[in-house]
Amino acid sequence: MTLTDLRLRLRALVFRGRAERELLEELEFHREMQHRRLRATGLDDADATRRSRARFGSTALVADECRDARGIGWFETLFQDARYALRSFRRAPMFALTVVATISLGLGLNTAVFTIFNAYVLKPFAVRDPYSLYSFEYQSAGRFHRVTWNQYEELRRDNRIFTEMFAQRRQLITRIEGHTAFALLVTGNYFRMLGIDAAIGRTLEPSDTATPGASAVVVISHAVWQQHFGGDPRIVGRKILVQGHPCEVVGVAREGFVGLDFSPSHDIWLPITLQHQLEDGADLFAPNSPATVDVIGRLDPAVTTRTAEAALLVWAKAATRTLPEEDRATNVWLESRSSSIPLTPMVIFALSPIAAAFGLVLLIACANVANMMLARGMARQREIGIRLTLGAARRRLVRQLVTESVMLAVPAGLLGFVVSRLAIDASVRAMFATLPSEFTEFVRVAPLPPDTRVLAFMVIVAVLTGVAFGLAPALQTTRSNIVQMARGDFGSDYGPWRLRNALVVGQITASVALLITATVLVRSAQHVARIDPGLRTRDVVTIDARDEARPRLAAALQASPIVSLIASASTIPLDATAPEVGATVSPGGDLVRIRYRYVSSSYFDLFDLPVLSGRTFTPDEARAGAPVAIVSASAAARLWPGASPVGQTLHLVPDRRIAATARIRRFETVQVVGVSRDYAADLGNSGPMTAAIHFPADVNAPGSGLIVRVIGEPEAARRALTITLDAAAPGAVQQIHKLQEFVAGRLYPFRAAYAVAAAVGLLALLLTITGVYGVVSYLVTQRAKEISIRFALGADVGKIVTLVVRHSLRLAWLGLCAGTLIALGGARIFGWRVMMLKAFDPFSYVAGILVVVVACVVASCVPAFRASKIDPMQMLRAD
Amino acid sequence: MARPPVDLLQGTLDLLILRTLRSGPQHGWAISERIEQISQDVLQVNQGSLYPALHRLEHQGWIRAEWGVSELGRRARFYELTAAGRKQLQFETELWERTSAAIGRVLKFA
Repeated sequence: MTLTDLRLRLRALVFRGRAERELLEELEFHREMQHRRLRATGLDDADATRRSRARFGSTALVADECRDARGIGWFETLFQDARYALRSFRRAPMFALTVVATISLGLGLNTAVFTIFNAYVLKPFAVRDPYSLYSFEYQSAGRFHRVTWNQYEELRRDNRIFTEMFAQRRQLITRIEGHTAFALLVTGNYFRMLGIDAAIGRTLEPSDTATPGASAVVVISHAVWQQHFGGDPRIVGRKILVQGHPCEVVGVAREGFVGLDFSPSHDIWLPITLQHQLEDGADLFAPNSPATVDVIGRLDPAVTTRTAEAALLVWAKAATRTLPEEDRATNVWLESRSSSIPLTPMVIFALSPIAAAFGLVLLIACANVANMMLARGMARQREIGIRLTLGAARRRLVRQLVTESVMLAVPAGLLGFVVSRLAIDASVRAMFATLPSEFTEFVRVAPLPPDTRVLAFMVIVAVLTGVAFGLAPALQTTRSNIVQMARGDFGSDYGPWRLRNALVVGQITASVALLITATVLVRSAQHVARIDPGLRTRDVVTIDARDEARPRLAAALQASPIVSLIASASTIPLDATAPEVGATVSPGGDLVRIRYRYVSSSYFDLFDLPVLSGRTFTPDEARAGAPVAIVSASAAARLWPGASPVGQTLHLVPDRRIAATARIRRFETVQVVGVSRDYAADLGNSGPMTAAIHFPADVNAPGSGLIVRVIGEPEAARRALTITLDAAAPGAVQQIHKLQEFVAGRLYPFRAAYAVAAAVGLLALLLTITGVYGVVSYLVTQRAKEISIRFALGADVGKIVTLVVRHSLRLAWLGLCAGTLIALGGARIFGWRVMMLKAFDPFSYVAGILVVVVACVVASCVPAFRASKIDPMQMLRAD
Repeated sequence: MARPPVDLLQGTLDLLILRTLRSGPQHGWAISERIEQISQDVLQVNQGSLYPALHRLEHQGWIRAEWGVSELGRRARFYELTAAGRKQLQFETELWERTSAAIGRVLKFA
């Protein structure tokens, strides 16, 4: 396109009227000159006019060709098509609204899901060169290992794979200034390597991690600074307590930086050299320490991940060569850290059911709209037929119909964007509103702004849907047979029946599958809600605290007037799942895997768990950690069916991979001293796991949670205890919760999944209803002639309605079978991964199917009754 | 007219228009008159192709249009060769000559 061309095109576009007038004037001038010449040859005026007109031909046609030559035809056509489309929308506003609403819902939900996917998986962290960051672990005997501090130092010195690397400890959950905080212990080069500077003050520096225990400093995130310290610039230099250890705030990290993780993000960063001061357990810097670190390195641009893995494997094999055979490295695992969740085949597999469910909704929406367009196209067959017979080019008609769908897709896209923002906002709000209140501090949501990737996704999907729902019907309806139409037969006999039926069957399949899934989830949630934990939870508060402060905390609790009982457990019931150990009644006998806890003797009293036979632990046994055990009733029934276990010997067979220093390896046999009532602390795939073994432990045993029964309103008591404990051992409490919250917490995933599945399922159902409605309407329009003949031959209304409804049920039948099969298949593939899911619940299947059947009947009733109102005389006269 | 007028070959109309305009600005009617006159009515210019061709050439930047007054005092649209048009004319003339010479040789000797 030359410059002149562009200028002229613009002129033609902007001064449309003037260009038009000039064109007509020019052509008229030509005709006049012709006229004049004809007059000169002696013709009279009328003859000359007639002949000049005849010679010139159609002015309109020439003008049209000139417009084409000028290139304004394209705009012209578009303008015409758009105007035509608008007129037809005005004639059928409900149609246009339904299409826009349907597509925008499908598109909006998919965009919302994509936005979340983008934030966690695609969008790189805003750090320097995020794509070169990799973390690495080595594998031995099927287990992944992180590296020890010495190995990290060695790797850092010798490797040629990473240009730089830092180490971090696993995230620590602590409390600062009375709020839950996620703390990360890192090496001093962390901020420098990621290219993160401070908003105020400074970030951590290599000198901060030069000697273990030396530099007690902390960098806080911008969000923490704003939320907990009111953005006070005097924060720099202030000392805050982290894990009971005073640390000086040296700076605030750049706004928006929350570490290389979103689930959850980090709040504060401390030198890794404070590890022994801040964490219980082994000292990372002691010789032969079992403590390990995560290593994140920046891959040398000249090294491929393949080469890096090979080189790291050589290193890992050398580093582990002195270890026992099964602990030696056999494999290494390099994982990108460019985003919160790396895009690996495993992640794609895990997310595929979600993507499929939402994609299905969009597909249903498209199928629906395509169907409605087809039905409408059929109703317009007469008009289109007339236009084709009059010589309209098929291409031109298709273009017009596609313009129409694009004009529907564009507002649908815009509306879809609004829907996606609202959906994201509403779901985040709904999540925080429904989360048990003490959990909200633990949940972090990645920022979810629409970025270019999201917009690109929207535009691509909007265009694809526009074409998908517009092009096929456009091609279909203009494929009419001109000869037939010339005879006045406008009913197309090209029933694209297979396509259309497939669309509806697909829709019914999808909604059946989704509704069954939703019902399964809601029933499972109800089922879990009905499980009685069998424990006293109402007035119980649990405390997670540092080991070193344990005696002071216990003393403060003992002195507190609102505490009536104190106990401890290595795993707090309902909070986390206890570990398992193999147990047998005779050496070499059948192993039964049973969950175990170390508990204080007051544990049974506190939870109102009666000891059914035998006795509870004596204080001496608890203090010494004696080789005795109390088993739950169902554990007793499994180990000694029909016999009393009290006084029997239980043989313990821990897994080989349990460390030799672990508490469970202390005794090979224990004596059963009592049997407690069953309780449902741990949930397994098939239901509550009530088999349990309890070993004695002191209330002050390291590495266990404190449990107290309080007097008075639990939340008030929790707050009062927080203050009391903070005074007794400042900063030592990591978490303090009401046990009741955990009961709500374990229901939460079911509730959330059920809400999502139900929403998607209902949307699918709604779309299916409109889809069935559309197809049946179409059927009625197409078979109007046949129906009127039936009427004329004496069929009554009931017969006609039955005819129509039966047709929709014939379609439904296939979809119902396919949908049920998909739901069963999904239950087989994914169901077993989900705890307590009754994936094959017959009620859910029957309910899902019934709902869809009813929906199909209802959807086909309206057009069926319309069919029954057809006036046979008028219909038969029409053709 | 002993023989029916010849339909112009695709593309040759552009060449003829450009050549006609070499002697100075002309309006559409004069162009068609001139082509017919010089070709002794062998070549008939169909108005249905003339005007679209003029508009196309204008868009290509080879001719320029301006409103002027015709010899009879009526407002008319005059077309004029541009510099680019002159170059194009030269190019197309050469092309035509080569082609017609080649066709001539084939007709004669093949």
